Amino acid sequence: MLKPNLRFVSINADRALLHRYCFPMSDDKQIIHMQQLMLRYPAGKVALSGVSLSISKGDFVYLTGESGAGKSTLLRMFYGGLIPSSGRLSVQQWDMRGVAEGDVRELRQRTGIIFQDHKLLFSRTVFENVALPLRVQGWEKERLVPRVRKVLEFVGLDDRLWSYPEALSGGEQQRIAIARAMVTNPPVILADEPTGNLDEETARRVLDLLMSLNRNGTTVIMATHDLHLLTSHPGRLIQLHQGSLIGDSQMENSQAGYSYE
Amino acid sequence: MSNIINEAPEHIDPRLPGGFQLPPFGIHQFLALMIVCVALWALGTVWLGLQGAQQWVGSWQNNIQLHVYLPVDKRDKLGELKVKLSSVEGVSSVRHISRREASEWMQSWLGGTSLNVEKFSRQLPESLELTLADERNEFLFSDIRDEAAILGATVNEDEVQLANAHELVQSIRKMVWFVTIILALAMALIVSNTLRMTLLARADEVHLMRLLGAKEWFVRMPFILEGTLLGAGAALLAWLLLWPLVLGLSSWADNMGISLSPFALLLPLIIGGALVGCFGATIATAKLVSPDSVDN
Repeated sequence: MLKPNLRFVSINADRALLHRYCFPMSDDKQIIHMQQLMLRYPAGKVALSGVSLSISKGDFVYLTGESGAGKSTLLRMFYGGLIPSSGRLSVQQWDMRGVAEGDVRELRQRTGIIFQDHKLLFSRTVFENVALPLRVQGWEKERLVPRVRKVLEFVGLDDRLWSYPEALSGGEQQRIAIARAMVTNPPVILADEPTGNLDEETARRVLDLLMSLNRNGTTVIMATHDLHLLTSHPGRLIQLHQGSLIGDSQMENSQAGYSYE
Repeated sequence: MSNIINEAPEHIDPRLPGGFQLPPFGIHQFLALMIVCVALWALGTVWLGLQGAQQWVGSWQNNIQLHVYLPVDKRDKLGELKVKLSSVEGVSSVRHISRREASEWMQSWLGGTSLNVEKFSRQLPESLELTLADERNEFLFSDIRDEAAILGATVNEDEVQLANAHELVQSIRKMVWFVTIILALAMALIVSNTLRMTLLARADEVHLMRLLGAKEWFVRMPFILEGTLLGAGAALLAWLLLWPLVLGLSSWADNMGISLSPFALLLPLIIGGALVGCFGATIATAKLVSPDSVDN
């Protein structure tokens, strides 16, 4: 495991400081805001407890933590796949507690989602996979091809328009998943372990793509185990442990690599 | 879309799921089409048979009439017989057929012969024509027979049998409706099962569409369309398969004075098939749950 040159400022020790950090004055730039968020599954297991933080537009956020820490659960809550048991969660101005079905659909149309297992449709071509979100949003057929071609160019797979996903490598499949997530130009992209099954070089390329999207103004929230990637791709690091927030720090570029401040 | 197809290699047919896009037609759909077709063909055959039976007793459908004959030597009891028959419950009117009318009928029955039939008609018994009410009790014909027998008259038993046949056809018609409803439900379940298999095979696609924020009608419409078209297609096929039957029975039907018309069944079969298919699809998609569904 690579050990990047990181300096951590733990904010776990001072909850008051954490709260102040997470809840600045009401800010229109906040795209996700949560306060004392809790999720308890019907079976009784508490997946998230007392999580409070805010994510601003244009942030690149890494969600880290051990398996079962609540990373995926938190991501699912960001697109309405799970509804909080208590606390407050607003995503893109929608209050997710008691959110209406139609609002969840609208939220999902404004959110790009990348899964570790890609969730590509293997019986459909790359074009059909990438065009699906556009079709869901009622795009005219004539506009689909130029848009799909453009995003495939961005991920470097425009020559694979009519291929089937099974003919592509794992890295290519993940790039198709990124193309699908970005094709509607959503303000937020959620990525659940997008590099989990990829070798380091391919993972870096995937992360490059996400960084490019972020530079264009898209908020990217990515759950990951691959901390070594942070050396080359800095961002905000949110750490979860057993459903609780234990760290929230901004990682910045330094001459010797990247460090937290 | 044309430019998409032009750009695609020949073996690729871009089909985007959801909305008014039909799912691919596979072996399950073909089997369901065949099963529903056979069921609809059976139904069509039964209804066609009923059509023939109704034609056979057609003249009895709206104006059921029965004739009672009184021998010539008992002509003096005609008035009494008319009163007695009129009083039978279920008989709406009694009319005496005059000798002149009987002669004219006999003349026409003999094909407009130049023979003087008056001599023959004098030998005919006095005839009373009974018009029967719509509401009839089960003992009506026995009551008429009894009243007629008291004064030595007889009832035309062929007509009684035809009236009974009409009753039977009416009962069969009710049974056919019952069978139609049962078969329609069975067909709806067959369509529903087929679509459930399709839905299982395409669960990932449905899940993904929901994750992308698709509306429910967008997710379900392909399956509803498929069910509706499957039912309508099976009905059209069943209707076409009725023709060999009709043509095979045409000479027998002609002898019976029946003219079977499958055209009368075309629209009912297709509309019924489509409705059954749509109903089956609605059942199949009623509980279409995906992970991360909003209502989970």
